[in-house]
Amino acid sequence: MIEKIDELVNEGLLKEAGIIKPNRKLYEFNHERIREIFKQLLERLGEKGFYLATIVGTDMLKDKKIRLDYYVVVLPEEITIVLRTYVDRDNPEINSILDLIPAALAPECEIYDLLGVVFKGNPALRRPFFVPEELVEKGIYPLRKDARV
Amino acid sequence: MQGCRAVAIDKVIEVPYALEIPVGPQHPALHEPLLLKAYADGEEVIKVEVHTGYNHRGIEKLAEKNSFYRDIFIVSRVCGICNGVHANCYVRAVEQILGIEPSPRAKYLRVLAMELERIHSHMLINAVMAEIIGFDSLFMNIMRDREYIMKSKEIVTGNRVSADYMIFGGVRRDLNSEKVDKLKKLLDRVIPRIKYYKKLFMEDETILKRLVDVGVVKPSEATLYGLLGPAARASGIKIDVRASDKYDAYGEIPFNVIVRNECDAWARMMVRWDEALESAEMVKYILDHLPQDEKAVPDERRLPRRFPPGEAYARVEAPRGELIYYVMSDGKPMPYRVKIRTPSVHNILNTAKFYIGYSIADLPVILTSWDPCISCMERLTIIDLKTGERRKVPMKELAGGGKKWVNPRYSL
Repeated sequence: MIEKIDELVNEGLLKEAGIIKPNRKLYEFNHERIREIFKQLLERLGEKGFYLATIVGTDMLKDKKIRLDYYVVVLPEEITIVLRTYVDRDNPEINSILDLIPAALAPECEIYDLLGVVFKGNPALRRPFFVPEELVEKGIYPLRKDARV
Repeated sequence: MQGCRAVAIDKVIEVPYALEIPVGPQHPALHEPLLLKAYADGEEVIKVEVHTGYNHRGIEKLAEKNSFYRDIFIVSRVCGICNGVHANCYVRAVEQILGIEPSPRAKYLRVLAMELERIHSHMLINAVMAEIIGFDSLFMNIMRDREYIMKSKEIVTGNRVSADYMIFGGVRRDLNSEKVDKLKKLLDRVIPRIKYYKKLFMEDETILKRLVDVGVVKPSEATLYGLLGPAARASGIKIDVRASDKYDAYGEIPFNVIVRNECDAWARMMVRWDEALESAEMVKYILDHLPQDEKAVPDERRLPRRFPPGEAYARVEAPRGELIYYVMSDGKPMPYRVKIRTPSVHNILNTAKFYIGYSIADLPVILTSWDPCISCMERLTIIDLKTGERRKVPMKELAGGGKKWVNPRYSL
């Protein structure tokens, strides 16, 4: 099934960008095409062909970006691939994939709460999800590098 | 009638009951303390909400503020039950960044500690399941036999629970032949007990009645909702990080990935028994084939103090499923980012849908079958919406249909 990912690369949806140790292939994509990519994954790999392991959000303070890594495990070989994208740090917005892949609920809610990335179309986003209420009142996103917690 | 007054009934007021079932708010072994709020129409669960945020400890931020070395001890405090796999996953991620590799003997010892952890974790959750369905004598028996494994873990790592066994480049204690003999004796006592409990879960009428066809998860739902570990394997999805990533010594130790196709709570518990037996065999194999000549314990004074920039993404098969550590270094003594994704995040937060349509008495069974930590859900509040009156009922009473009973036939 992993060769289906190469098809997406050939069609220009994904761009190869090296590896993350150990041996996780890294692909970059434009954050506006997120839904298109996951629709294609569902179509080509099938519902049982992969699962979303997690989304890792990282605050890249120097570049004024927030990096989002979607970790997808392709079945049945169980190969982890990384789909990486960047959103603007001052106005972090990306489309939600919750309606396509319900597994995105936990990571999307968590990243909204800890980093402030808005997943457009996710009705479950709320604060406080994890962080204490006093931080929510002050408008602090604790995992941002300039947040003093 | 004389002495009585007749009262004409002209209206009936229906009092709506909302059943609010708080799971939580916190427990040391539950990584993400949460509240599971269930709404029931009569006996049938119609909606479940998952609430979080009661005790977010901010471990990811804490890890960014501490050195790579201190983080080993911080991450093994994420979870009490599976502290070994947490430390192992973090240590392996940093080893990838550093480019060092432990000796084969150290790899075998790491697997030994992690497999012992898997056995006692699976025994614990099966014991809790027995307690939840009102079978307390079975709970106590399983917990007694689990002590053999805790003792084994103490012999290997020096501590029953919190082991702090892993270090970059190896482990922190070695085994001698005397300890190996002790471990073998303990294993010989525990394996027949696990087989007996497995038989009990297969044949006992009460257990079958409570678990079979409860909390069914279709295979396509298991992947869509991102279920992990025994929860996915009981739905026929063959995922096991030990088999796919072959980290540490898993490439050299023979074992089977247990998969079942029944898709219900019973299948999830049976997967755990089979895995416990499989792990016991693996432990035996490790004790017989432990590489002899290399050093397992690295000299901690000679370990690297400088961490090159880089990123690594390590996976490990924790007792509850795939556990993930993403570590990013920017060349400073402290990591730039540590992301932890525990299997329970998916198995608990994403599974609200699978309670719907079952009765309230099935709710604790389904919840337990995901393997959350249960000791904090011993409360249930019934709120009368009309009067605002609250009354507390223990979860166990609810699970047993209002009365606790144990048939003497089932006492061991």
